[in-house]
Amino acid sequence: MTLPLVQINNLSLRYGNFVALDDISIDFMPGTCVVICGPSGSGKSSLLRCVNRLEDFGTGDVIFDGQSLKSAHNISKIRSNIGMVFQHFELYPHLSVMNNITLAPRYVNGINRDEAEAKAHKLLERVGILDQANKYPDELSGGQQQRAAIARALALEPKLMLFDEPTSALDPEMISEVLQVMRDLARNGMTMLVVTHEMGFARDVADEVVFMDKGKVIERNASGKFFDNPQSDRAKEFIDRVLQKI
Amino acid sequence: MNYEFDWSLLLEEPNWSWVIEGIANTIQLSLVAWGCALVLGVLIGAIRMSRSRTLRFIGTTYVEIFRNIPLLVQLFLWFFVFPLLLPDDLMRAWNRLDGVPFLTALIGLSLFTAARIAEQIRSGISSIPKGQFLAAYSTGLTEVQTFRHVIIPYAFRVMIPAIASEFLTIFKNSALTLTIGVAEVTGAAKTIEAYTFRGIEAYSAASLTYMLTTASVVIFMGWLEHALRIPGLIGKR
Amino acid sequence: MDFSVINDNIEFLMLGLMRSFQLAIFTIVLSLTIACFIAIGRVSSKRSIRYPSAIFVNLLRSNPLILIVFWFFFLVPLITGKTLPEFHTVLIAFVVFFAAYFAEIVRSGIQSVGSSQVKAALSTGLTYSQSMRLIVLPQALRNMLPALVTECVIVFQGTTIAYVIGMREFLHSTSLVAERTVRPVELYLFAALVYLVICFTGTRLALFLEKNKELAR
Repeated sequence: MTLPLVQINNLSLRYGNFVALDDISIDFMPGTCVVICGPSGSGKSSLLRCVNRLEDFGTGDVIFDGQSLKSAHNISKIRSNIGMVFQHFELYPHLSVMNNITLAPRYVNGINRDEAEAKAHKLLERVGILDQANKYPDELSGGQQQRAAIARALALEPKLMLFDEPTSALDPEMISEVLQVMRDLARNGMTMLVVTHEMGFARDVADEVVFMDKGKVIERNASGKFFDNPQSDRAKEFIDRVLQKI
Repeated sequence: MNYEFDWSLLLEEPNWSWVIEGIANTIQLSLVAWGCALVLGVLIGAIRMSRSRTLRFIGTTYVEIFRNIPLLVQLFLWFFVFPLLLPDDLMRAWNRLDGVPFLTALIGLSLFTAARIAEQIRSGISSIPKGQFLAAYSTGLTEVQTFRHVIIPYAFRVMIPAIASEFLTIFKNSALTLTIGVAEVTGAAKTIEAYTFRGIEAYSAASLTYMLTTASVVIFMGWLEHALRIPGLIGKR
Repeated sequence: MDFSVINDNIEFLMLGLMRSFQLAIFTIVLSLTIACFIAIGRVSSKRSIRYPSAIFVNLLRSNPLILIVFWFFFLVPLITGKTLPEFHTVLIAFVVFFAAYFAEIVRSGIQSVGSSQVKAALSTGLTYSQSMRLIVLPQALRNMLPALVTECVIVFQGTTIAYVIGMREFLHSTSLVAERTVRPVELYLFAALVYLVICFTGTRLALFLEKNKELAR
């Protein structure tokens, strides 16, 4: 029997009086691609940031690969096994694309520069921007920046990838090039948690969809079933609204 | 207006020596004070971002006091008041020192400018998007590594223009030290004017010093910006 | 220490403080007015306007205030042929000097409002002057208000420089009393405290406006 890669137990999170996450318990199995969706303010991004403890959670715990994040002494080591991609890319503007990718492998995993660069080379080829390696982030288009950011996250050979609205800040013509990279990742068996409004991606690529509202998980379903036959009214309403917009 | 120019008088003694000494003093004073202010300013800037509430309070108090009292008043405090507050034997030792005006000017300028630099550092660091921290932490960098490899190099480049312009500010502010007897270039010009009634020539010499320095720093900054070549970072603010 | 010396001379000192305020307020009003014209000149499309404004601004910004004051004390009698009261001469020097600084603030305020705002306003049928008055200027003013307040604090701090030519502003009054009573410690500490309170209030106001500006976004 396979064990879940991520196990979230009774997790709650508040900002002042606002309840961002309300007693959430959910598991994610290795090798699956799960899309998390829901209206804005529903807690999707907060949940994602709790999975690598970028958010200090109040009560509850997250177990990643058998380790409790709450009681982890070396959170940095755990984080290096979890890649994360941000809405606004967050590449380091003072470093070239190559150095953006090699920074963490060199300083976290202690890999030497040549080896790190050789690996970055392969990753850049994989995301299709090898020719941009020596440029600075601001010289790249949004789509290229996001692909570089994905390469940066992959450089540590993570067991899990977190995507926090990776295409929301992109121009429409650049969305597909980023989604294509993510699609390939999923096909190669990467475990992925993706917060996105791209319903096409959710339907075609994701194995499962988790629907959240007001800090709670309302529904979890296989992606085909979620779209064709949603269980809850709120999910139904959400799908209608989102699909109409498209 | 009838005024006969006589530029050659600047080359006559003792005027020439005064001007040269003035320029030397201005440059020396500004450079040393700038260096001191930079070290102290970075320190106070760091204190203001520390986790300890007490340290933060000390840092903020320092900045508020030193930037809200006019520099001239601060110079007077150091020159007239500070020695009187020393114990007797220390005060006598202080008064026996060579170049008390220069030393006083150095202290006053450094402490005043440190407050401004500390403020620049804080706003430089807080201008860094929060996502940069998250991105660095998400790849497993520790807090120290994040500051060392991501935040400080970023902040440093964002702040270069501000720190260079602080040098120009200290350079101009050093003129105020003529009031406590430092023979810097504005004071030299004033002295020449008083002796010769040749204000235009005398003040031109001083103005030229300031303008040439400003121009050199601006040109140097342009070069530096090019040398550090990070598209979209410097000059974005 | 004996702070009764301050109480004994409070009237004389406050007279000096009033003089400082007077100089600061006249300077701010006059130099800000001139600065608006220079700022518009700085963003003008005509070189014959843009270059002189740029030279004016950069010339003054690269010189210390105290030197500018010396310049004017020499030039004003030379040009007018008579000696003006020292307050007027100092005021002229201050207005010219700070006009350059205010001009830069006003210019960046104008430039902070994107040209697409003008286009948006024009597209709704507003005339050019209407869109300037109703759309661009309110935003520009809000954006530059904190910097303007900070500069006003700097003007007030700058009034101490009038001490150098013997104008009886607050610092000069303080030094006169300090000499007469031989109580420099009490008097200079008192002066420092007064300046601190006034300028601290000003910088806090600037900070408040800055925060407000961010909230309004």
